[in-house]
Amino acid sequence: MSTTVIGTRAPRVEGVEKVTGAALYSADVLLPGMVWGKSLRSPYPYARIKRLNTSKARALPGVLAVITGSDIRNVLVGRRLRDQHILAADVVRFMGERVAAVAAEDKDVADAALELIEVEYEELEPLLDPLKAMDADAPLLHPDLRSYKGLPPTLPEHLRNVHAYSRIERGDLAAGFASADEIVEGTYSTAMVHQAYIEPHAAAVSVDAEGRVHVWAAQKQPFGLREMLAEALDLPLEMVVYEYSRVGGEFGGKGALMDVPLCYYLSKACGRPVRMVMTYTEEFLAANPRHPSYVQLKTGVKRDGTITAHEVKIIFDSGAYGAFKPVPGVDLGGARKAGGAYRVPASSIESFIVYTNHVPGGFMRAPGDPQVLFALESHVDEIAHKLGMDPLEFRRKNILRQGDANATGEVWADLRAREVLDAAIASSNYGQPKPRPHIGRGMAITNRHIGGGDSQALLRIDAGGRVTVVTGTPDAGQGSHTIQRQIVADVLTIPETQVDVVARGTDEAVYDGGIGGGKTTHVTGRAIMMAAEQAVAELRGWAAELRGWPEDGVVLEHGLFSSPGEAGEPVSLQLAAAEAVRRKCAPLEFHTTYSKGKVEQECFGAQVAEVEVDPETGQITVLQMTTAHDSGKLINPMAAEGQVEGGVVQGLGFALMEEMILEDGKVANPNFGEYKIPTIADIPPLREAWVEDAPGPLPYGGRNVSEHSLIITGGAIGNAVRDAVGVRITSTPVTAEKVFAALQAKRQASA
Amino acid sequence: MNSFEFFAPTSVDEALDLIVSKGEDAKIVAGGTGLVNMMKQRLVNPEALISLGAVRGLDGLEISDGKVRIGALCNHQALVKSAEVGQMLPLLAETYSKVATVRIRNFATVGGGLVHGDPNQDPQVSLLALNADVSLRSKSGTRTLPLKDFMVDYYETAIRPDELLIDALVPVLPNNAGYAYLKFLPRTADDYATVSAAAVTVLEDGVLKDVRVAFGSAAPTARRCQETERMLTGQRPTPEALRAAAEKAKDLADPVSDGRGSAAYKKEMVGVFVRRALEKALERAGGAVNGR
Repeated sequence: MSTTVIGTRAPRVEGVEKVTGAALYSADVLLPGMVWGKSLRSPYPYARIKRLNTSKARALPGVLAVITGSDIRNVLVGRRLRDQHILAADVVRFMGERVAAVAAEDKDVADAALELIEVEYEELEPLLDPLKAMDADAPLLHPDLRSYKGLPPTLPEHLRNVHAYSRIERGDLAAGFASADEIVEGTYSTAMVHQAYIEPHAAAVSVDAEGRVHVWAAQKQPFGLREMLAEALDLPLEMVVYEYSRVGGEFGGKGALMDVPLCYYLSKACGRPVRMVMTYTEEFLAANPRHPSYVQLKTGVKRDGTITAHEVKIIFDSGAYGAFKPVPGVDLGGARKAGGAYRVPASSIESFIVYTNHVPGGFMRAPGDPQVLFALESHVDEIAHKLGMDPLEFRRKNILRQGDANATGEVWADLRAREVLDAAIASSNYGQPKPRPHIGRGMAITNRHIGGGDSQALLRIDAGGRVTVVTGTPDAGQGSHTIQRQIVADVLTIPETQVDVVARGTDEAVYDGGIGGGKTTHVTGRAIMMAAEQAVAELRGWAAELRGWPEDGVVLEHGLFSSPGEAGEPVSLQLAAAEAVRRKCAPLEFHTTYSKGKVEQECFGAQVAEVEVDPETGQITVLQMTTAHDSGKLINPMAAEGQVEGGVVQGLGFALMEEMILEDGKVANPNFGEYKIPTIADIPPLREAWVEDAPGPLPYGGRNVSEHSLIITGGAIGNAVRDAVGVRITSTPVTAEKVFAALQAKRQASA
Repeated sequence: MNSFEFFAPTSVDEALDLIVSKGEDAKIVAGGTGLVNMMKQRLVNPEALISLGAVRGLDGLEISDGKVRIGALCNHQALVKSAEVGQMLPLLAETYSKVATVRIRNFATVGGGLVHGDPNQDPQVSLLALNADVSLRSKSGTRTLPLKDFMVDYYETAIRPDELLIDALVPVLPNNAGYAYLKFLPRTADDYATVSAAAVTVLEDGVLKDVRVAFGSAAPTARRCQETERMLTGQRPTPEALRAAAEKAKDLADPVSDGRGSAAYKKEMVGVFVRRALEKALERAGGAVNGR
């Protein structure tokens, strides 16, 4: 195999169309006769709808349809747990829940019509604290929970307002604590944050003459959306067509149905194609943000730093619905990571996902992990401080070695935890002299699975020799299409510019599980690689036949087949393909399937943050972020850097500034003027270190680099602040004001 | 956004006629960076917009009698880039350079910013320290007001419904003056200030001959700190004197809690940033604070 394409900084295949504005997104879809849909949303976090009158709205010129919950009362939707009405039927459970929708000739008329809909509410006392919502006397937000489809069958009966629960127990916890020299406890919390993709949710639906429902919507799992929608609308699968739509950033948040069913019902009601585009205010009020969390930790340690017992209780505020979580347990990933990358002989980890009257949470890049790792890695530093150990020394003592089991009993192959930690330290300033006072350095490490799943690939070579990969998954910005092109080019030994990767809708593409969970380069990449290898095998045969060579001796180099020692000109891939198409009277198509369940290896990421704190104001200036990964062989170093650095930036937002401020159930800052994310001026120098000796299942033997850099930033920053000025901030975001207040408290305590 | 009538007068007189005839249902728009956002959020729903975009003669910069006259339609970036402003009023160039982003600065006008009356804006703070006046014109004539009297409350100024803000008049600083504008941005570089502070200092023989201080984002309007100034005028700028005078500024703070900080925190930060602005101004005046 040639290695001229693999390991190069190949530019983004879709970069030009995106930066020039040529790329069209779901919100750009314009079909003949298309009209606008808009939703009316609840102004209360919890209320009963007593009366709803739409007659004035219906009478407004330009209004084509108005629908309410009573029109679609029996339809409950959800990615797994189906607990949410498309339009609230009798009760609204969060501020921003849809209660009615209109279709109108234009957006302004639709907005005006919403103002004419009269709703009378009876306000109810909202449940806003997930800890109190679990109390025995708390009212039930979902009295019909047990009847919902998708509810985990193992959910214990006695839990109140909990829709997902997990408990992992290992070893003898009591004995572990009894043998400890020190027991360290801590409680941490994290804020609700938004994915903050540039493109808000948008959807367009058109029903054709045969009754087939065509859908345009940014979606990470096009085939999954088709299934969910068919099920929700009670239509045969073949009657739903997902039309390929670009994704303007998703970070986990574009896997739900969102407005698609509503577009469908509005379209049915008015007989026209309907488009809905959420405003960013609607995104903040009613999309699917990251769950806030409360994490309690208790760890027993020996004086030499050995962990003897570890107990964790995690409470996630689900908000009003569980509908946005796709996994069978309707769970979040954090619990599995709550013991960290360490040897823990005895543990108990409990996770509760609790209904409240907040915005329903959904999946966001490594769902559950940044919350739990902020708590855990802060706690780990506190244990080290209690023992008088350097946090690095404590981590090195406890870090998983080959053959060790982690807190949940998992054992992995080809473990590189220690190497990753050491690489992050070596590439950072950790342990170096500090040039000024109030500079601090902190670290964090995490493990995360290498995603598996199913993918099919379709590779075509036409009579002219043009190579096309037809994929059913979008490139959400991580560069997956670029990498797929590099893989095909490498196998075919041709320049990547001779390969097209085209994304198509469900009528044209073959099944793919979609993007997410750190699996795309692995699963889709493998399927595509297999297809390219099949293509080479077949074309080699045609080349051999053309020249009369024995097939075994035919080699492929630079797009040319030749047979060393045999007579005859080399045969180009194009010539072989033309011969094949002519002789078979059919285009060359290679259709492959790759499936992989659990991957034997686990992937690690470690980070060192270096900050400077202004002790007079509490202001934190990040000086440098260093991230290390056991990536294995990088297919495209530039894409890997982009993925990791993007994660660091998103992690800095989570760590330092992002918070959907919840006041009495209301999101108080539903716009980017008040909800701040990092800008380019806020980004410190970023360094990456790659541990390339790390075998994995990706094409060319590497591992994923998808999410770690975002998971550990909160912990690394919190620990760096602790190192700089000696105060521990136990909640995100770690703001200047929190540091200032902690410093004042510390001064008062020592005065 | 609701629909509205749109007028584009080409002279001040024509604009004044329209303001009177359209009355309170109309809004005047210049750069639109404040108003259009409010309209999109439906916080303001005018029946008519009177755009000043085509009015000629309101975007100039003129220097005479020791004053810089800044036309109301001058955009923020023009001040940042002006060589004259950079030389004669470097504090103003520094302050306007810290407003929002270059995209907004290219549209936002000086007059629009002042009439908007948002206490979280940067320019008012420095303009207060520079003793700026504003001139307002109606069909019955022109009046000039000190900026401190022009600013009334949150989003409220002394402009009358029939008036247009024509220009701001800013006295040029003496060559030996030190100056500073500090914008405290603890979250992100793209934000309103949690608090801000401006200072102007003139030192003679190690004594503060002239000292002017103002802060922003921590009261219903930007505030001039007269007691702080009084405590320092005629004094040597020792660290103790600066600290005590800056602490005094906190008495004038009356902030609200929001995502940029609690009221209590902002009040504390007024003390810190007033002092730091004074220190930086003194440093630029060639007299680093004694004892530092």
